[in-house]
Amino acid sequence: MNPLLRFAIYLILAPLIGGLLAGIDRKLSARLQARQGPPLWQPFYDVRKLWNKENIVVRRSQDFYVFFFLILMVFTGGLFFAGSDLLLVVFALTLAAIFLVLGAYKASSPYSFIGAERELLQMMAYEPMILVTAVGMYLATGSFYVNDIAAHSGVLALRLPGVLLGFLFCLLIKFRKSPFDLSSSHHAHQELVRGILTEFSGSTLAMIEVAHWFENVLLLGWVYLFFAASPAAGIAAALGAFLLVIVVDNACARLTWPTMLKGAWATTLVLGFGNILFLTYF
Amino acid sequence: MPAFAKSPWVIHYDASSCNGCDIETLACLTPLYDAERLGVVNTGNPKHADIFLVTGAVNAQSGDVIRNIYHQLPEPKVVVAVGACAASGGIFRECYNIHGGVDTVVPVDVYVGGCAARPEAIIDGIVRAVQILEVKHKATQAAARGIDKLVYEPALAGDIPEILALQKVTYRSEAEIYGDDSLPAMQQTLAEIEADLAQWTFLKASINGKIVGSIRGRIEGATGYIRRCIVHPYFRGRGIARRLITEMERSFPPQVVRFETLTGHKSRRNLAMCEKLGYRVFKTEEYLPTVQWVHLQKERK
Amino acid sequence: MLVLEIAMGLYIVVLGIRHRRPLVVLLLLVQLLPMVGWELRHGEGLQAHGDLLADRLSALMALINGVVGGSICLYALGYMREYHTAHHPEVRDRRPLFFSLLFFFLAAMFGIVFSNNLLWLYFFWEVTTLCSFVLIAYKQDEESIGNAFRALTYNLIGGAAFAGAIIWVHRATGSIGLTDLIHAAPALVIGPALLLSLAGITKSAQLPFSRWLLGAMVAPTPVSALLHSSTMVKAGVYLVLRMAPILHGTAGGIVVALVGASSFALASLAAVGTSDAKKVLAYSTVANLGLIILCGGIGTHEAVWAGVLLILFHAVAKCLLFLCVGVVEHRLHSRDIERMSGLVLSMPRLSIMLQIGIAGMFLAPFGMLIGKWAVLKAVIDTYPIIALPIIFGSAPTLFFWMKWMGKLLEVTHPIPNIEHEIGRGEWFALTLLSCTTALTCIAFPLVSAWLVEPYVIGVYGRSGHLAHGNFVIMTIMLAMVALFPLSFFNYGRRVKVLDPYLGGANVESGARYQGAVGQVHALQMSNYTLAGLVPEAGVFRVGIGVGLALLAALAACLLLLR
Repeated sequence: MNPLLRFAIYLILAPLIGGLLAGIDRKLSARLQARQGPPLWQPFYDVRKLWNKENIVVRRSQDFYVFFFLILMVFTGGLFFAGSDLLLVVFALTLAAIFLVLGAYKASSPYSFIGAERELLQMMAYEPMILVTAVGMYLATGSFYVNDIAAHSGVLALRLPGVLLGFLFCLLIKFRKSPFDLSSSHHAHQELVRGILTEFSGSTLAMIEVAHWFENVLLLGWVYLFFAASPAAGIAAALGAFLLVIVVDNACARLTWPTMLKGAWATTLVLGFGNILFLTYF
Repeated sequence: MPAFAKSPWVIHYDASSCNGCDIETLACLTPLYDAERLGVVNTGNPKHADIFLVTGAVNAQSGDVIRNIYHQLPEPKVVVAVGACAASGGIFRECYNIHGGVDTVVPVDVYVGGCAARPEAIIDGIVRAVQILEVKHKATQAAARGIDKLVYEPALAGDIPEILALQKVTYRSEAEIYGDDSLPAMQQTLAEIEADLAQWTFLKASINGKIVGSIRGRIEGATGYIRRCIVHPYFRGRGIARRLITEMERSFPPQVVRFETLTGHKSRRNLAMCEKLGYRVFKTEEYLPTVQWVHLQKERK
Repeated sequence: MLVLEIAMGLYIVVLGIRHRRPLVVLLLLVQLLPMVGWELRHGEGLQAHGDLLADRLSALMALINGVVGGSICLYALGYMREYHTAHHPEVRDRRPLFFSLLFFFLAAMFGIVFSNNLLWLYFFWEVTTLCSFVLIAYKQDEESIGNAFRALTYNLIGGAAFAGAIIWVHRATGSIGLTDLIHAAPALVIGPALLLSLAGITKSAQLPFSRWLLGAMVAPTPVSALLHSSTMVKAGVYLVLRMAPILHGTAGGIVVALVGASSFALASLAAVGTSDAKKVLAYSTVANLGLIILCGGIGTHEAVWAGVLLILFHAVAKCLLFLCVGVVEHRLHSRDIERMSGLVLSMPRLSIMLQIGIAGMFLAPFGMLIGKWAVLKAVIDTYPIIALPIIFGSAPTLFFWMKWMGKLLEVTHPIPNIEHEIGRGEWFALTLLSCTTALTCIAFPLVSAWLVEPYVIGVYGRSGHLAHGNFVIMTIMLAMVALFPLSFFNYGRRVKVLDPYLGGANVESGARYQGAVGQVHALQMSNYTLAGLVPEAGVFRVGIGVGLALLAALAACLLLLR
């Protein structure tokens, strides 16, 4: 398929799927807590409402950073689904996340400030593993391009089990789920008020929400890549990873950032690099 | 479909008293009542919330907090007073430290009865609040759409508190320009501005009864002095300020042949606007360490 | 030549004796006496095929020296005036000496990059060491003299290695030309190449020698910018990159690469733990030079391509950062990053320049990141295990740069603008460097095609480059980031400005809040330093340990080669 066409399909489907996944997340979390939970379409209702709300800021320019966060997140997902270089995807993802952090710094509120710092710590925790994932995929398939990796005949998960597990660990951080929802947490949880998101409101908050939908789709797409040789297994794996994240979220209390950092780096070192060493020398 | 009905986000504050209503409010989120099935989220952050849920009576300390949180809720917003204490002070009403109900501090839209209020009643209160949210949202939208329905008219004594609130919102951008929070316009009290009413004529610009701009003027001999032209940040860049100044000029009697106004030296937008209206700079003077006054004048044509 | 060398040596000996530093004297004699004896014995026999060397790499280095060095000298004029009058009246005004040394140093740098004759190269090398020593000690207090001697000692170790390398090269090939060395059979000259790399490692302040560079930060800021970030320390990596074809695929090369890689990871980690701006810059310099050394050690064409690019990007961006910090230090009387809060109001233009510099240091799609990316690819294709320090080093890099950037943006209360106090010379240099930083990022493909690729092709017959598709994507990203300032046209429309949320305890106007018992506090925020998890000194100590171990490995390689 033409990369541009794929980009267009992604642009339309990603927010729909992302929003729906967020809805499933809330419904499922509620059921795990013996509640009925909100309607499946709740995330869309929320975004629409936020869009209609007044926008309160502390510093006027803080919103532009968020706007660029959204744009870059969409762009990053586009790169991924158009079949571009994985390392480039990682860098673009980092750049996007950085814009959100800068916006929170700019807001100059103590809560968003600590939220921003913790977001940085989270980035510091997951970044190595994500890079290792890209490297692992390269070593297994001989290419950094998502296209080539997807077209690879073998099931990558079989050659990269450690990397897959490490990547799942990072998903917990990236999805902002317990036990690693340090910088800001989901739905009704409150950590540092709302951490990095505290000072964003109205349409800006809606943009952040939508950006997260794009981000989640991208990350689940990455899980799919581990099983790209058989699409059915790939989709099942992506959904499985998503369910796993939700279950862990509901079963765990929040951990401190040193634990997160040590845990993530240890995982990267042992599972990620162990796997890569195995791949290189055996 | 209504935008606000399906996603009421709540911030919950306990002003004082026995915590009974406080606990009942949180009980709404438990599996038995599960307010989230209505889309309710307990945000804990005023800037994300639509509904301000207050329990308990207001005392000296919590009054300020309630006011602060109320101001930090983005429009449209609704205040729900939960329980007897929040409504009137309840059994604490006569205590030495109690001001009374929440409505002594901020306007309340919905009262929920009970001591303590039952979770069912609280959820019912939220549902009613959601309807009010819709109404308020429509009113704001109408205001935004009805910008051509702007009315320029003399302000009355009853408008003064609203104008003062507007002045504080408006001058924040000026304070940012000069890096100085001590601008007198930011510090003015209600008593001072009411005293001004004796010497100055006030004009206001309003949409559907909501004041979005104001200006004041005074006559001394043949000169009309025009001061404090303020426009709500949301409505800037739409010619309201210019119109206010022209209206003010027009309201002066014919013996006034010269108009004078002033602005700070760094307020480039104000200066540009005054020059466009025909005002010319004739002197500058030191005012505050951070601000220099630029005086502008114009002859009546 | 010989006379000058001896005179310089004697000067150092006198200094060493006067300040009672026997180690300095010893190190000097170790290299001076054999060199003199050897030169006298061979006399006219010491020949290279052409004394000068001018290729694209030299041209690039010369360009950096010229542009960056020139603007720093300009900057130094105003800076040093203020330094003596306003900030350090206690320091004796020796500006004539200062400037003559600065120019003398620049001349020596040109000498280094254009010399083919190793004896010349060695001479200029020692001149820069000496300049660095005198400039670090400029303040003449105990601390700066101590640090200057440390720098001298460490650099003399490198000098000794250099001297050894020259004698060894001559014995192996009969020539003392740099090109002859590079084109000789690698097996024959791997020993001297490793010794030269060792000299490069000391000059570039890699672990375990990094301490001298951190100490050198006591010097006035133009010195730090010129000698200790953009040019002199680059002489070290320049030499290692020259050795790259010889090091490629050898055990010694791997050790050199590991030195660079571990320096990168550990220095980045150490930078997290400090909030002294100059120290952060110094650590980051060590880290980035480590990356270049790593490229040299790996020695494939891709790696060398990346290394040369990194030299360029790092020189420009880092120099800009140093100069900005110098200005800020004079205005705020502190170089603590935590004190830079609100800089976007007090010095808006300067804070934008700082942000350009910081973005240039680590953000996609700017220069350094392209380099890092290429290094990562090169490493994975050769020794995937060395990717480990790169991957774990880039995460803290992100952290310490970002928290600095955040501090620049954050504003808690209105601050008056004090930018007009900055002199014209400083402005000119800063603007020039900001533009150069931006330009090198934008014109990166041109720079790569004109200067870097021809050199790499000249050495290897092929070169690394950015794939066309990726290049297009990078351009799109660059365009997006460049669009960012445009968004300010819509500044302040349709938003309501309010104070931050402070638990409802805000006090009228401004970021202040009412605490317990009615006391009003001003808002204050400071960054994490992760002191509990990665204490700066601890990380550094580990780094020195690792460095020493690698040094031992290098020595073992050399002994085996004998």
